[in-house]
Amino acid sequence: MNWKSLSVLLLLAASNLFAADHQWVLRQSTLTYHVSHPLHQSEGVSHSARGKGICHEGQCDFLIAVPVKTFDSGDSNRDLHMIQVTRGAEFPMVTVRTRLPEAASGSETITADLEIEFAGQTAHYRQVSFQMVTQGNEKQISGTIPATLADFKIDPPSLLTLPVKNEIPIRVEMKWIQE
Amino acid sequence: MNPKAASLFLGVALMFVLTAGPLRAQVATVTLSGTVTDRGRVLPNVKVSVRNLATGQSVEAQTNADGVYTVSNLASGDYEVSLSAAEGANAARVTLAAGASPKVDLVLNAVPSSTEVPVGNPAAAPAGTLPNAPSSSKTEPSLDDLGFSKAETQSNTAQQALLDKRTHMLKIHQRMGLITTVPLVATVITSLGAGGKSTSTSSRDLHVALGSLTGDLYGITAYYAIRAPRIDRTKKRGPIRFHEAMAWIHGPGMILTPILGAIAFDQKSNGERVHGIASAHGPVAIVTAGAFGAALLSVSVKF
Repeated sequence: MNWKSLSVLLLLAASNLFAADHQWVLRQSTLTYHVSHPLHQSEGVSHSARGKGICHEGQCDFLIAVPVKTFDSGDSNRDLHMIQVTRGAEFPMVTVRTRLPEAASGSETITADLEIEFAGQTAHYRQVSFQMVTQGNEKQISGTIPATLADFKIDPPSLLTLPVKNEIPIRVEMKWIQE
Repeated sequence: MNPKAASLFLGVALMFVLTAGPLRAQVATVTLSGTVTDRGRVLPNVKVSVRNLATGQSVEAQTNADGVYTVSNLASGDYEVSLSAAEGANAARVTLAAGASPKVDLVLNAVPSSTEVPVGNPAAAPAGTLPNAPSSSKTEPSLDDLGFSKAETQSNTAQQALLDKRTHMLKIHQRMGLITTVPLVATVITSLGAGGKSTSTSSRDLHVALGSLTGDLYGITAYYAIRAPRIDRTKKRGPIRFHEAMAWIHGPGMILTPILGAIAFDQKSNGERVHGIASAHGPVAIVTAGAFGAALLSVSVKF
């Protein structure tokens, strides 16, 4: 083996060493926030989340992001107010980061530590449970993130001088594909 | 209209003038201040420039004997605070939040700050961990990997300031609308003793006074809705459409009702029976009050 062949082999070996083992891509999602007011119960839905998970050495790092303005509650006035109170023009994206062991892809329940950036703040949620259903190459994940307005230092918006409740649980339904 | 009624109108108009001022004063502004130092020594008489990054407009201030500068009446948004002196210069970027009184201290000749300080929001994540920041690890996905357009991920402080102003004005609109409901209902109730076969001038005067107060408060309420900034590319959906449709009924009604009422008042004061166009005062007022109530309910209760 001459020195050229040897260097090519070494380069290939090095690239394999640093390459991701595989990755997950978010194919479909429905994120729903729920707001409670003494006069109203309202929900805002977004299907615009995008996500990716990169797995390497037995660990998978996931990033999911969704533009704040894509949440639709069916009321344009309420949606604009939501963007205002969450400072959605200044901080237009909600991002969720988590790290999971590759082995978790085989279980029916995932427990994840989430780091959520929203409204210019970062909140951490420990041990959030999600249900997972496997259909062929596709993983369907669902669960609820127990978010609150206070976690992101958002002043509760009010209607007729009555503020909404602090709790804004976010229902998550996602379909992931391994690539 | 008799002199008594005229004086009532004047009184209510005066009330309008007195209440409108404090309402205007509620617009939230930010006062920015800080100290300019050089190796621990405060620097007096140094020119400090505060530039709004969205509009490009600058405001200048000068440090006092204690090296302190103060700039008032700033709108919320992103700013660059810079100082320039014979000995050197420095600048820092700052995000101002409405209602806060941030302090940005500057050190002469220090390395220019590239860190955005989220003033008024001390627990905010540092710039390196903001959503737009690229991933620091080659094995972790970054926001760039997800394929969002720059328009989707870019911060827009000018738009945020517009939304803040809109919400502020609509909050006043909402509160004034609720307050207006009280004299509106009272006006409708007192109409029972003011019209028909009643000849009581005191009942009519009370009705006129309450009606005038309602009209003035309604005017303020409408002002804050009409002047609230419009947000581009927003298609109106939901109860707000009905709410606005009702305004096309109660708006003209609130103009027409007092005109017809004034004619009816004159006729009654002259001992005549209300006749002609003035007889429409009651029905127009009822439709107006009904539309106003429906507009209020449409955004308050989910049907």
